[in-house]
Amino acid sequence: MTKSDLGGAHVIQNGPTCAYGSKSPHSPVLFSSPFRSEAAGRRSLLVRSLKSPRTFAIEEIQAFSATIASFKFLRDFCNMKEDGIDISSGSSVTPEEKLPVLPPITAKSGPVCLSSKVQATPEIEKKYVHHVYDAIAPHFSSTRFAKWPKVQGFLNSLPTGSLILDAGCGNGKYLGLNPNCYFVGCDISSALISICADKGHEVLVADAVNLPYRTGYGDASISIAVLHHLSTESRRKKAVEELIRVVKTGGLVLITVWAREQEDKSLVNKWTPLTQKYLEEWIGPGSPRIRSPSSISLESIPEMEENSSEEQSKEGSATRNGDDPLDESRSEEGIRKNQQEYFVPWHLPYHRAEISGASADAVASGFARKDDKKGAVVYDRYYHVFSEGELERLVSGMDGAVIVDKFYDKSNWCVILEKTS
Amino acid sequence: MRLLTHNMLSSNIKGVTSGFPLRIEVEKVVQKEVEFNADFLRNMFAKIEWSALVEASKTMGYSELPDSAESSMLDSDEFLHRFHHALLELHLEEGALICPETGRKFPVNKGIPNMLLHEDEV
Repeated sequence: MTKSDLGGAHVIQNGPTCAYGSKSPHSPVLFSSPFRSEAAGRRSLLVRSLKSPRTFAIEEIQAFSATIASFKFLRDFCNMKEDGIDISSGSSVTPEEKLPVLPPITAKSGPVCLSSKVQATPEIEKKYVHHVYDAIAPHFSSTRFAKWPKVQGFLNSLPTGSLILDAGCGNGKYLGLNPNCYFVGCDISSALISICADKGHEVLVADAVNLPYRTGYGDASISIAVLHHLSTESRRKKAVEELIRVVKTGGLVLITVWAREQEDKSLVNKWTPLTQKYLEEWIGPGSPRIRSPSSISLESIPEMEENSSEEQSKEGSATRNGDDPLDESRSEEGIRKNQQEYFVPWHLPYHRAEISGASADAVASGFARKDDKKGAVVYDRYYHVFSEGELERLVSGMDGAVIVDKFYDKSNWCVILEKTS
Repeated sequence: MRLLTHNMLSSNIKGVTSGFPLRIEVEKVVQKEVEFNADFLRNMFAKIEWSALVEASKTMGYSELPDSAESSMLDSDEFLHRFHHALLELHLEEGALICPETGRKFPVNKGIPNMLLHEDEV
């Protein structure tokens, strides 16, 4: 049995890919119809994803769930080839015909590898959240003193003697706010945690997506202006799950996030929307979505590595109201209307920047820029601002907790959850 | 780091099934007075894993806790004060917390534990 007898079915490529198309009329229909009917761009995208699934964001992998059956078939097909069975003719193929086995991307192995990847910090967060807060910590802390009444109200409503866990406590503004309760705070920034410790608070350095706390220990937990720094929906979901996990049954969770719908609309104009030109920053494990997760469909996954300008016009249908944030030919307003991914600047005055010393390096490596007019080093912080209803949707699917309150306050969307089991 | 916090911490390294309690490696212990709050202590008693607290307390140099405890002891002022002291007034300033399964050390510096995992532990 020669290669040619197998028809055009074997597009053997370098690397662990697998044939997916067939030119021979005698070859069986190898794939379910949605697969075969896709545009060439999407097909090559799928091949690439099979080649190196790890380079795709969690959302992309989730979006493929509708065609997981196809992947499974693909894998099985390749395995069969590995065993030397030609499924079109039933006879053996020579060892040279063997196709490499695909890395498995099936629903079975999905949850395990997805959860471990969810906890790995994406590049955009390392560069534009962690690094920035470490550099600006003292200055940031000096501006964070006003206690938000809604949070204060929540904390003061908790029973005396409660243990309250603040995940993403920043400079510890809310730690100890209720003198009858005990607070333990954690943040990913050692610099901010040091500031908390200097004030005598009980704190540790930890990741909100993977809290090092035993289940059900706390009486309440809070997440004040934290989730909007997480760049994928899976990570935001995981962080909420953690907030629920660490409190007892009946315990309360308060979450606040920046709203896309800002009270001061002029503020949004000072933010830099993440558009095509920032895509290069994102390519890598756990790259965030540009548009809101609710509009994900197979058709909407952008071609990131090649022909991206060509593909942009195909993405128009994916976003709400037909606006495409990637299409820079549209008006600035059009971009901002549905945009949720932003860099929000932080101006670190020169005299403050000199203290840390890290700013000189940051400017040199392009993380930050100098604004001589303002006499400040400007850092960009990554934000995924939440649209109306998004926070609710994020939490409403979760087992073991119910929403007991939700509100919009001072340009933030907020929810209070109660753990039910 | 107070023992209240230690009693809550668990190693969350990938694959670890029993990451609690973390063993304590002591380099420096400091005692800091904290206001006594009986309500808080009673609330905490229900959550505390008692043997882990006793063990940790001994490691930190305080051996006055009974090996086992029941809620009726909360009526005793003396018990409450010992519980308060162990739970809130002993600080690990310098040292490490050690995962009981993998032996991985989480450093504690200036009283602050760093529980961040490396990429391969996640």
